[in-house]
Amino acid sequence: MILALLIILPLAAGPLAWLTGRWSRSAPRWISLAAMALDLALAVALWIHGPMETSWGWIPQLGIGFTLSLDGLSILMVALTAFLGVIAVAASWKEIKDRVGFFHFNLMWTLAGITGVFLASDLLLFYFFWELMLVPMYFLFLWGQEKRSAAGMKFLIYTQSSGLLMLLAILVLYFMHAGATGVYTFDYAALLQTPAAGPAANMLMFGFFIAFAVKMGVPPFHGWLPDAYTHAPTAGTLLLAGLMAKTGAYGLLRFVLPLFPEQALQFAPMGMALGAAAILYGGLMAFSQTDLKRMVAYTSISHMGFVLLGIFAPTAQSQQGAVILMLGHGAATGALFVMAGALQERLGTRELGRMGGLWETAPRMGGTMLFLALALMGLPGTANFIGEFLVLVGAWRTSIPLATVAALGMILSVIYALWMIQRVFQGPNRENWKFPDFSLRETVAAAAMIGVVLWIGLYPKPISTAAGPVLDRTMPRADLSAQDEGGEP
Amino acid sequence: MTFRDLLPLLPLMLPALTAVAILLLLAFHRSHRLTAWLAAGGLAAALLLIPFACEGAPRRFGALLVVDGCALFYTGIIMAAALAVAAFSYGYLARRRGHVEEFYVLLLLATTGGAVLTASSHFATFFLGLEVLTVALYTLIAYERGAFGIEAGVKYLVLAAVSTAALLFGVALIYAELGTMEFSKIASLLDAGAPVSLLMPAGVALILVGVGFKLALTPFHLWAPDVYQGAPAPTAAFLSTVSKGAVFAAAMRYLVPLDLPSHRSLWLAVAALAVVSMLAGNLLALRQGNIRRVLAYSSIAHMGYLAAMLLTGSPLATAAAMFYLLAYFVTSLGAWGVIAALSEKEGDAERIEDYRGLAGRHPWLAGALTLMLLSLAGMPLTAGFISKFFLLTAGVEGRLWAPMAALLLGSAIGIFYYVRIIAMLFAPQEDAPPVRATHWAAGAAIGALVLLLIALGVYPAPVLAIIQSLIAASS
Amino acid sequence: MATLWPLAVYLGATLAIVAGIVTLSYLLGERHEGKARGEPYESGILQTTSARLRVSAKFYLVAMFFVIFDVETAFVLAWAVSFRATGWAGYAAAMIFIGILLVALVYLWRAGALDWGTSPNRKRSCNETGKQNGST
Repeated sequence: MILALLIILPLAAGPLAWLTGRWSRSAPRWISLAAMALDLALAVALWIHGPMETSWGWIPQLGIGFTLSLDGLSILMVALTAFLGVIAVAASWKEIKDRVGFFHFNLMWTLAGITGVFLASDLLLFYFFWELMLVPMYFLFLWGQEKRSAAGMKFLIYTQSSGLLMLLAILVLYFMHAGATGVYTFDYAALLQTPAAGPAANMLMFGFFIAFAVKMGVPPFHGWLPDAYTHAPTAGTLLLAGLMAKTGAYGLLRFVLPLFPEQALQFAPMGMALGAAAILYGGLMAFSQTDLKRMVAYTSISHMGFVLLGIFAPTAQSQQGAVILMLGHGAATGALFVMAGALQERLGTRELGRMGGLWETAPRMGGTMLFLALALMGLPGTANFIGEFLVLVGAWRTSIPLATVAALGMILSVIYALWMIQRVFQGPNRENWKFPDFSLRETVAAAAMIGVVLWIGLYPKPISTAAGPVLDRTMPRADLSAQDEGGEP
Repeated sequence: MTFRDLLPLLPLMLPALTAVAILLLLAFHRSHRLTAWLAAGGLAAALLLIPFACEGAPRRFGALLVVDGCALFYTGIIMAAALAVAAFSYGYLARRRGHVEEFYVLLLLATTGGAVLTASSHFATFFLGLEVLTVALYTLIAYERGAFGIEAGVKYLVLAAVSTAALLFGVALIYAELGTMEFSKIASLLDAGAPVSLLMPAGVALILVGVGFKLALTPFHLWAPDVYQGAPAPTAAFLSTVSKGAVFAAAMRYLVPLDLPSHRSLWLAVAALAVVSMLAGNLLALRQGNIRRVLAYSSIAHMGYLAAMLLTGSPLATAAAMFYLLAYFVTSLGAWGVIAALSEKEGDAERIEDYRGLAGRHPWLAGALTLMLLSLAGMPLTAGFISKFFLLTAGVEGRLWAPMAALLLGSAIGIFYYVRIIAMLFAPQEDAPPVRATHWAAGAAIGALVLLLIALGVYPAPVLAIIQSLIAASS
Repeated sequence: MATLWPLAVYLGATLAIVAGIVTLSYLLGERHEGKARGEPYESGILQTTSARLRVSAKFYLVAMFFVIFDVETAFVLAWAVSFRATGWAGYAAAMIFIGILLVALVYLWRAGALDWGTSPNRKRSCNETGKQNGST
């Protein structure tokens, strides 16, 4: 019941916010904030409490249960969701002025869908939540920037059609399982017992992989991503980059590798190569952008490349690194998007060419941005450093060339991060921008995100103790030579 | 013959009786309100009788009718749909000039025809039901005598007559071949390996033409967009639900005992119809600027999805088809109900552009239409999601790879045009036309449909259990 | 095949006779060339209006009445033949059938479909028939 409460809270807050939005502008904001804060508190309490599982019948005729389970991996993601949910409400406090109630309804429902994805332990229920978050997310684009409708449509079509592929794969898996055992069930734990075999299994794995890769924005499945990230409202981008991309990575860890161990190991070199390509592609593309949000979007592709690389170099270190990087990227890149949104709110533009010399007028913003840039390049002490380092260590043991390419990507990140700071906050203030610095609300939000990045960077132990056992239990491991038996980092 | 014996037949008879009673009433006293109440009362009574009728089911009435659980299920959703159409009609017709009362008579007659279709077990009743349905529809379509209405009526008349002729010819060929017109005897003769010549597949093909026309499966769909555009909105709602649902139910009844997978050429023909309909319906809907035409093409695609369920004939596929039909009824009625509620005295709300900013003017109607469109697109929390999932499950079980691939492709295309309308609903608008109150009957019907849509989408297990028990009892 | 030859002879004879009559009348018949030759009335009376008339919708109604009540007769006759075989059930069925037609007749009567020519009800009947033929 407590697990369901994690989903029910935002689900109930949504309609409430919508209704109260008819009379008051601030009521929806406070309701959403309270719901997400409660969610966060609940998530932290559950983190301390440990794994749990609840199950109700849903469509028993087809063996579909309303099964939620919480283990070390999902609690991290749920906590991140609740945390970024609070930030998203805070970030849109001033930005959203019309139809406030409806906006918060969509925000809450998207968050509910994402939380459901992280908790579902029944494949159909997982798919249900996976699709549930799409429509409210699409509606969030209504409050977006110039090309919002095209961007929203692109997002919806990419994710929906790849999701349908996954549904087909789920169904085939269901019947394969039934054929092998005679039991018709979508239950994750049961399906885990009979690994898919035969040539069809490869196809099934791709069905899942493509859906997840689209959400992560791995090239060549990233066509929707730059536009969507750029033209969504700040809270929307925060959700897309901070959480939805993570649902893809989470799906890889939760489903693709455990359900298709052999096929995934065969595919691993390809997956790593895709990851390395994403790192380079994202880094290079980030250079050529003139739009701040778009630039951050490409750095996000690059970082998700690291995550992909870590997941498919199936070693204990690299996968733990991937998880840490997911959290760190969620906080750091999320904060960068909030920053971009705050700048746009003040300047009315996202053009890098028109910015410059903003440090004078907004030192608090400059300081925040500088820290985030350092996190982006993976400076020791930040979460990104730990994550990328562990990914590289793991990848090095599997494939030295790909690890080298990824390391090159890290160099790229140093360049584009510093270049970004240079263009926004340094140099001459040619257009004589004058605007208010971070308000108290924004300062607190930024401080919280910086705090998370620093905390994970300095003391990642809670993360690895939460996620480590889960990964070790469910992941197939490549048979590396016995000499370097991976220990705890 | 006692009352108990007649009880299973009563839900089929009540609408017809009501129609006659209304006719008699109209001879002496014309009142739109009274007529509408009578029609709604007759339909509601028929609907309420169905649980009682279930106790007497299954029951055969000669060779002509079999009232079993499945037939009563289909009859029930047909009656409920007709009730909803009647609710939409009241407000819609009240805004129009001329005699409007006969609309309800025709509606009841068409409903009777549909109900007879679902219970038919013989080509004679099949044809009779089809004709009662179709003849009433001719007038219902041309009820508003605008240029488009007449065009739609004539188009439907000519094409329906041609397709009916084809169907009759097919029936005659089968009769010539096997010497019987009873569905069950035909199936058992074929099972026993009765020698058949070329007449048999030719006859079945001709019947497929007739059925394909009614379901508007590509390439027999050409009438659909024009008729949907020209007909009054409540008629279009009826056309896209009751008319198609009844014919589909009859087709299930007739084709499933034939064991389609064992007749390769027939199987291929139905599969081709299904796949082409899914793709053509979705592709052609992409470029429509008229919401009625979009819904017409979307309905073609949905019938294609449903037709794929004829290909396996497994209990799961039958259950999936029944659930899908129910969900489709709810969704389609809801969407047309909103269109009917928004239609003005002169002309209907048709162009997608007319719907710009609807969320600001009519938040409830816009919300309902959004939910209906999302359900058509198969989004979660709506009946469309669950029903499409059942369909896919049955398809994968039956290894219908090509139709299922087409279904996925069609759904991916479909999302574009559904969401395009939704985006229009929520787009800002400068000069808003005045807001007009929706009649309470239509509002209540739409509200009930929305609740049903969500209930089916969130917790479908009870309905699925009912459907499965009906199928188990029938087979 | 052998039995078919009388038929062939018959066919040939028929064709020959028809062809002969047509040819003979062509060769022997009189031929006139005149101004009024192409007119409908060879007597010279001029046509006053077009031959294409608007047929009153009443004829449509007559056709409908015919279909309804003639078909009724056909059914009732069929029932009369099997009167004893079908018994009371058949009687009830026939009564229902006739009753429904009666209701239809009452409806049509009250709607003014039976009013011919000018009558107080004329306006109403025009509206009524207009519904069916699509004018107005």
